[in-house]
Amino acid sequence: MSEPKTVLVIDDDHDFVAAIEALLTSSGYRVATASNGREGLQEAKKIQPDLILLDVMMTERTEGFFTLQEVRRIPSLSRIPVIVISSIYTDQPVFRVSPEAGWLPADLFLPKPVEPVRLLEEARRLMGESSQTAAAGRKP
Amino acid sequence: MKILKIPKQNLDLFVSVLPAFGDVYAPVRRGTGYAFDRPSLWSDVHMDYPRTILPPKKFMLPPREATFSFDPVKGFQDKLADAAKPTVLFGVHAYDIYGLNILDRVFAQGPYKDPYYIARRQATAIIGVDFQPDKNHFARSMSADWVDTGFDLFLSDIGDSYLILVGTSRGDDIVLLSGCLTEKPTEVDIAEYKRRANERREAYQTRIELEELPEILEMEYYNKVWEEMGARCLSCGSCSMVCPTCYCFDVTDEVNLGTRAGTRIRQWDSCLFKTHALVAGGENFRAARASRVKFRFYHKQRGFVAEYGRPSCIGCGRCIEVCPAKIDIVSVIESIRGERHEHASSASPSA
Repeated sequence: MSEPKTVLVIDDDHDFVAAIEALLTSSGYRVATASNGREGLQEAKKIQPDLILLDVMMTERTEGFFTLQEVRRIPSLSRIPVIVISSIYTDQPVFRVSPEAGWLPADLFLPKPVEPVRLLEEARRLMGESSQTAAAGRKP
Repeated sequence: MKILKIPKQNLDLFVSVLPAFGDVYAPVRRGTGYAFDRPSLWSDVHMDYPRTILPPKKFMLPPREATFSFDPVKGFQDKLADAAKPTVLFGVHAYDIYGLNILDRVFAQGPYKDPYYIARRQATAIIGVDFQPDKNHFARSMSADWVDTGFDLFLSDIGDSYLILVGTSRGDDIVLLSGCLTEKPTEVDIAEYKRRANERREAYQTRIELEELPEILEMEYYNKVWEEMGARCLSCGSCSMVCPTCYCFDVTDEVNLGTRAGTRIRQWDSCLFKTHALVAGGENFRAARASRVKFRFYHKQRGFVAEYGRPSCIGCGRCIEVCPAKIDIVSVIESIRGERHEHASSASPSA
């Protein structure tokens, strides 16, 4: 059986991270976490995850945008799919970060609160897995 | 020109859309100074920096670049695609934008157009920001303390907000992409903009009198000041490296083992370097340091006037800050004009 894929969750909301970690682990993924952008980049360089879930508003409210720019710039990370999961959409209605925001160099933008089924589907899709592949790795 | 304003509290959000237009570089701390570099957080960006160590010319004319490779099988392959990488320079002062406008005249508008420079200039969005002059700025004297071209957006501090001048359609695209973060300025905002602009003009502590300077330089070609400068100058070339408008470069071919393929390299040079005027046969037209110091002053303050109608110096004060021998352009010009005063920043010339 192939190695489980690794998802790096970069978010400063510990409750959210715990929930996402439980969701992903129970679906057969290995999960690594970081609570801010700098830590997240270091961790990503170290573990080379298959997917990054990235918050925007952390220590600074635009931190995730800068982190995403770095992910795209660093050759070893630039091709890793990134899902931005943030409530900036609802917190800053005057700012054009909608789920369709084409300027955001993320593979997907999901507003918080995130729908778990949708998140799992999108994660599988971005990691190039079918539902069956992921289910095969699921823990009993 | 479209004029808008943005509350300072929203500037971090505004900057977040800039990656859509290229890799973002902004003034960040570098040791005891500042440099245009990639910020890793909004708080890394310093909007109130005095000047950066190197001017933004490093983005248009990199210190060292490969212009093309050559190979007997593949032929010549230019590196223009590398030069056209979209970039955003955020927080550029007016004098540095003026410096780029001067480089444009040499590399983009003159008889010999440089495709590498032009590709970089076109791929680079420039977002200017105003500044408070310090003791080494004399941009007002060089008419480079404001610009009306050469930027996509220009931000001026008006208290709780920045007034935004939109200079190009790309600038307009940036504003549009940032959603509703910007708003229309009020009459009070415009009045505050004018008040602060006047205040800034009055804030310059250092001034140079340019009237008749090219003629005076013509008359003072043999002034003993040049020998004194030559005795002090270390020929390190620091002043040219940090100068926004010094553009001398050297071209070399770096040939691979086997000597059939290689890369053509262009890198910064300086007229202060002893080898700058060294030619085949060992003849050196400016072997003496005094002649090299003099050449640099004459090219910037006199030769450039004859060719382009204004000096190439833009009064950023970088050369004053960086010179290890404390050679100070303001004091040198005052000496030549016969009106030597002690410049606020200069060490004693006899020291």
